[in-house]
Amino acid sequence: MFRMGTNDHEAIRAVLKGDKEAYGVLVARHSQSLFRVAFRITRNESDAEDVVQEAFLRGYRKLEGFESRSNFGTWIYRIAVRCALDKIGGRRMDDSSRIADETDPEEEHVQVADEAAGPDRLLLSGEIGAIHELALRSLTATERAAFVMRHMEDCTSEEIGAALGVPANAAKQAVFRGVRKLRSRLADLRVMR
Amino acid sequence: MKHISEEELIEQYYSRITSGAARHFEDCAECVVAYAELANDLDEMEFAEPPARDASYGARVWESIAGSLPAYEKRKRNWLGIGAMRGLSYAATCALLVVGAFYAGRIWEQKHQPTAARANPPQAQQPAGHPQERVVVVVLSDHLDRSERLLVELKHADANSAETISPLRDQARGLLAANRICRQNATKIDDPALASALDRLDHVLGELASQPEGLNSAAITQLQNEMNAEGLLFEVRVLRSRIPEGQTGEKRRSEGDSI
Repeated sequence: MFRMGTNDHEAIRAVLKGDKEAYGVLVARHSQSLFRVAFRITRNESDAEDVVQEAFLRGYRKLEGFESRSNFGTWIYRIAVRCALDKIGGRRMDDSSRIADETDPEEEHVQVADEAAGPDRLLLSGEIGAIHELALRSLTATERAAFVMRHMEDCTSEEIGAALGVPANAAKQAVFRGVRKLRSRLADLRVMR
Repeated sequence: MKHISEEELIEQYYSRITSGAARHFEDCAECVVAYAELANDLDEMEFAEPPARDASYGARVWESIAGSLPAYEKRKRNWLGIGAMRGLSYAATCALLVVGAFYAGRIWEQKHQPTAARANPPQAQQPAGHPQERVVVVVLSDHLDRSERLLVELKHADANSAETISPLRDQARGLLAANRICRQNATKIDDPALASALDRLDHVLGELASQPEGLNSAAITQLQNEMNAEGLLFEVRVLRSRIPEGQTGEKRRSEGDSI
């Protein structure tokens, strides 16, 4: 039976030999980091939890293809990014119907700027973070994932490319487009301040 | 002056500023401003941080998925089972193909053999039906037999030893006449392979026989080289093998021995 001290590769070997419980060690060890990146990409707590579960399920199914010289943490992280992409990719179409009167990150409802109210009202109500959130959600799934990985997770272009399944240069371009769109969306706020 | 692109500025922000960019910043106030604005924008971006998860979160995730995961070994055994079945079916198909090809070949061979046999009757079998030709074959067989022995001896002869050279010359003289008869006969029955081989044999025998004082070592070596280069000994052996076994000189000799 496996304990937490067991390293990832030993646990994987045990799983492949039939000790299913050994996978629990890996799940317990990497769930937090997967939840973090999943939340940063999906911007929703319950979606992030779904992503974590889905990532570990996919990881288990693909475990035979895991190369022993790789790092399991990196490998499952990439799977989680793909799962998160799938999640927001399928959800973006519904975003317009989720706008509510009050910002509720749990329900993914964001209070948006009423054009009549003007940016000063937003400032006064302390909703700068919500505007940033909204700007972030306006990015495409790939742009958002690439930006999150670069800006919040400190990933390199190569790491982003590997996670998104695109060349490093394409990942760099996605980050660039994301930053550009965010700056454009937030320009009004900057001028007002 | 060429300014640093926005894309490159973003790259500089997220990674360490390169020495090239730093030098450019020293000379270009415009790029410094652009970089400062970009850095300010990115620094000020505020996004909701992930809600904290307690220490038991991983265990809860495991509980939620453990039930839907089949144990690997069982699944693997199934895969192996499928793989073994697939392998067996491939092997059976291959075996079937091989057996089919074998029988098809046999049937084809049986159908075509009589035709081929009619079209190309073996020359060595022709004499069997005619007494005169059978005599020729026996003579030829005997001649080739003796020629082979001579060539073997010549091949291994010591060029410097007169004791070995003299008998060779005598044997060659004895074979020369028979060789010419056989060669004429080969030409008559239109067997170019036999005629050609006997022609070359004639040359060797003639060289051996035409040395009244015996062969010197240089001549012997030259003959050996010619014989080897032309593969004469091999050719004589092949010609011997074409003659039916019952008609060879060896067989005849063994029959004679038993009498």
